[in-house]
Amino acid sequence: MKKDVMFELQDVCKIYRMKGVETHALRGATLQIRKGEYVALLGPSGSGKSTLMHIMGCLDTPTKGRVFVEGREISKLSDDDLAKIRREKIGFVFQAYNLIQGLTAAENVALPMRFSGYGRGDAQKKAKELLKKVGLENRMDHKPNELSGGEQQRVAIARSLVNDPDVILADEPTGNLDTRSGKEIFELLENLHKKTGKTIIVVTHDINLAKRAHREIRIKDGTVTN
Amino acid sequence: MLDLALKDLKEHKVRTILTALGIFIAITAIVSLGSISTGVNELVTSSTGLIGSDTIFVMKHFDFSEITAGPPQDMIGEIDADAVSEISSISGVKRAVPVIARAFMGFFEVDGLDMDAVDMFGAQDIEFKEGWWPENDEKGAVLGYLPASMLDVAVGDYIELNKKEVEVFGIFEEGSGAYDLVILMPYDYADEIYETEGGATQLMVEPEDISMVTEIKQIIEDEYDDLDAMTMEDALSMMEEITGTLNIMTFGIGFVASLVAAIGIIITMYTSVLERRRQIGIMKAVGALRRTILIQILQEGLLLSVVSSLVAVAISFFFVEMLNNILLGGINLAVITPALAIGAIAYGIGLTVISSLYPAWIAVKTDPIKAIREG
Repeated sequence: MKKDVMFELQDVCKIYRMKGVETHALRGATLQIRKGEYVALLGPSGSGKSTLMHIMGCLDTPTKGRVFVEGREISKLSDDDLAKIRREKIGFVFQAYNLIQGLTAAENVALPMRFSGYGRGDAQKKAKELLKKVGLENRMDHKPNELSGGEQQRVAIARSLVNDPDVILADEPTGNLDTRSGKEIFELLENLHKKTGKTIIVVTHDINLAKRAHREIRIKDGTVTN
Repeated sequence: MLDLALKDLKEHKVRTILTALGIFIAITAIVSLGSISTGVNELVTSSTGLIGSDTIFVMKHFDFSEITAGPPQDMIGEIDADAVSEISSISGVKRAVPVIARAFMGFFEVDGLDMDAVDMFGAQDIEFKEGWWPENDEKGAVLGYLPASMLDVAVGDYIELNKKEVEVFGIFEEGSGAYDLVILMPYDYADEIYETEGGATQLMVEPEDISMVTEIKQIIEDEYDDLDAMTMEDALSMMEEITGTLNIMTFGIGFVASLVAAIGIIITMYTSVLERRRQIGIMKAVGALRRTILIQILQEGLLLSVVSSLVAVAISFFFVEMLNNILLGGINLAVITPALAIGAIAYGIGLTVISSLYPAWIAVKTDPIKAIREG
């Protein structure tokens, strides 16, 4: 495997079993994403793109097939080993922001750093720096319910960056936002890619937004079509 | 991460208060009952230690089926004067001291006895706050610290016993153990006050030699069907049985209270984990290890239990003070020793942490994708 490969999926299948009924979310997906790429995962609703992102993001493991993150196979790793990879290498941005309601913006951003063993002071300092970078210097002590959708997503982006990961995985990051806020979030991700060279993978079903990425990977019925 | 646990407890105040209340009730029950058990044990030990190991108590046979409301002394029949004199003359008996015992004001006991035989009751070394023992032919009484302070009397004042005026000859110093609770007077004077006609409520028999204790006890029991004779050894074992029963009761009630508290903790912590399923999922998604989640839930339990147990012990001290000083007029029936207080706090913490294990395990097993998607 080449050294510059960030993710490699070989014939990955994912089957969910619910009350005896099997749902095939992925049916032999194969793809490769290099380090530093800005990729859009494109596909209609229910095509399996979020499942693919969860598997690449070590939130889930495949039923069949092999998944490599920087050359390390993750299919059979324990929960804690997967959590360590998520913590160190991957930053997540979710459609529904997924911020913890009881914590302030700065505390939410600091959380992954606290999980990495940093003290409250160091983590809060770094969180505040990142919140400044995403334009939320005046909203640091606000709780999620006191922020707009666009602001919450900015907090989520700051949180995804706090442990300085190699990859940002964004699952429909503009799905809950109005057009203007959505555009701002995309610009933020683009700038991030330009300035840091991090691998950025954005899941979306918006073709116009997907075109702004350097490469499109199209998913349909659980398989990669291009 | 303790700050996160604290934040979470503050965030859900009602849940936190309910869980804390469960722990508080269990620990208060344990400390309060434990303090009574400890106090009674100490009172019994201090009382039995006063009397010589060779003494035999003789009293009228007591039929437990005839128990009625009222102080036990008023239910026990009296040994008549003939029996007192006959027992005194049994071969091997050095002295037989009749005692007239009567309850007074509920908590106290009036004892009429031979003033030359106070050593048999371990009373010879008691220090006096004021006054002194009456002679056997004098008409007066010596009061323990508590009846004296409750009646607010000094030497030379009079108290009323059985509707008769009795002069106070002396008052014991505070802290004389069981003698804080008694009123002592010469036997003849008590006989006159209570009109017992030479009888006695109990007879304290001292043999010439300690080896004769069992033999004399046997003679008394054989001769008098209506009398019970009890050696110091018998009394101690009876006391041990009573305190043992009390300890078992304390343990039983404490156990039930703990069980109820534990179930309460499990339910509230489990509900809390279910309520925070999405939050736990997010924490796992952004890199929290299983250990981190486990520790956070246990830390919440730890914080709750430390605060609740400390408050419970503090409130128990207050209850015990109220019980001893207000309800019992200064009798230290309940005693909270440092060991009891520390033990109860440690127990409260242990109980909560153990009860938090199952909810914590449920939290650890949370699937981040399902939790985030389904909430």
